[in-house]
Amino acid sequence: MSTQIETQTTTIGERILGRDLRRYLRGVGGLLAFLGIWWLGATMTEPTYLLPGPAESGRAVVGLFESKTAIRVPVTGGELVLPTGLAHLTQTLFHYVPGLVLGSIGGSSLGLVLGWNNTLDDWLTPVVRLLRPIPPLAWIVFAIVWFGIHHSGAAFIVFIGAFWINFYGAYGGVESVPADLTDAAATLGVEREWSMLVLVGVPSALPQMLTAFRTSIGRCWMIVVGAELFGAPGVGYEIINAANNLAMATSVAYMFLISLAFICMDVCFRVFERRVVAWR
Amino acid sequence: MARKITVDGVSKQYESPDGTVQALSDVSITVPAGEFCCLVGPSGCGKTTLLRMIAGLDTPTRGAIRLDGEPVTEPGLDRGMVFQEYALFPWRTVRENIRFGLERPACDCRDCAAQVEELVELVGLSGFENSYPSALSGGMKQRVGIARALAVDPEILLMDEPFGSVDARTRDRLHGELLDIWAETQQTVVFVTHDIDEAVTLGDRVLVMDSDPGTVQARIPIDCPRPRERTSPAFVDQVARIRAKLGDPSIEDSGDTTTQK
Repeated sequence: MSTQIETQTTTIGERILGRDLRRYLRGVGGLLAFLGIWWLGATMTEPTYLLPGPAESGRAVVGLFESKTAIRVPVTGGELVLPTGLAHLTQTLFHYVPGLVLGSIGGSSLGLVLGWNNTLDDWLTPVVRLLRPIPPLAWIVFAIVWFGIHHSGAAFIVFIGAFWINFYGAYGGVESVPADLTDAAATLGVEREWSMLVLVGVPSALPQMLTAFRTSIGRCWMIVVGAELFGAPGVGYEIINAANNLAMATSVAYMFLISLAFICMDVCFRVFERRVVAWR
Repeated sequence: MARKITVDGVSKQYESPDGTVQALSDVSITVPAGEFCCLVGPSGCGKTTLLRMIAGLDTPTRGAIRLDGEPVTEPGLDRGMVFQEYALFPWRTVRENIRFGLERPACDCRDCAAQVEELVELVGLSGFENSYPSALSGGMKQRVGIARALAVDPEILLMDEPFGSVDARTRDRLHGELLDIWAETQQTVVFVTHDIDEAVTLGDRVLVMDSDPGTVQARIPIDCPRPRERTSPAFVDQVARIRAKLGDPSIEDSGDTTTQK
């Protein structure tokens, strides 16, 4: 009996392993094909600096970690010496993280309140409609004149990008709370609107809010690079700086660095998300 | 501990895109304290609307609902409600769902945790305390719904087609369990259903409602001794009488029964 069960589990295990292995191999195949086409394109391009090849770009990535760069820490004003690639990534995070965090908190809070309170919603919907379509990067002019194009200015742009994504996540989430759940809570003694929002609205909207936050992680990377192209320090600035010196391989290296940073954040957040909404 | 429900000349109108809908028209009923009262009727007869108004989730357009003489203006812990589609909080475990009503500052239970454990046992969910609703079957979900409503020790239990989405065998078992609980708690129960068999199995009295507009058409006391046998002549006779009052055998909400003229 037990041996039979054992064989069964191993076959299931093998089947899962087989499927995973097949997917893994296909993924590696796709990656190799991409590298091959890239290499082929790079060797055929003249002049060569227009498109650096995979090997050259790989060397540039290694190069980012061979030298060290000192960066200034905002607020404390201290100095930090890190491998060059990491140093510029850290500079980006100095405005990316505050912008993302403040924008998400601000956006979700306003979204929750407007999604929950009809009177406020009536008052503010036209304003939201008016401001929402403005691309975050269009605010760069105000970022420059209000904050100057440094960490705070770039953080402001990221803030706006994160704000609207999280606003709509929270707004939609809290608006679609099933009436059955608020009815049930009302019969169980929840009287005040505020308690209802905290006890039923927010937990019910949480999955949509987390999805919105995850979307904003990616979107803010796009925005942050845009803001840095205007001169804020960080990886985006280094991309254009290297390109100005025709060191295209270094630009590519920084591009991959951004990709890597995004993947790390996304994976971490997915793990967090799965724990928080384990009930789904 | 039970309370008497008085529905006094209640009408309810809804505004819909197609004009005004008369959901209930001048309904007057009295449910004595401790009675198990079943409301049967075709879909659209306003039985759920009536239940929701007793719960305080809807307000009558005309007339009043009173509990021992006090008018109902809003939902309250004196009335527990069990919903057709369970309405469990999906982000809360079984235990946390049952505990929901006990988390208010106004809660005066001495040992809430022990009370929750008792309820878990009462509805036969021991071992599933930490499961989320998504992992439970329909019958188990409704057990949680009942335990959650009972947790605050309401004087009145309002049930809106609670077993409409569970399979027949589970429903029979839940009927037995519900009657045991009722015998113990002595609550006033208002139970909405479209299933005549279910109403006769459970109720002290069955109120038959009619639609367009919603009115109470007949009040039929069920005098079969408990526990009731569905095959007993008295039971079959009661079911037949109610069916006759409804006039039309196609009472099933699902509309899958054939209409006989």
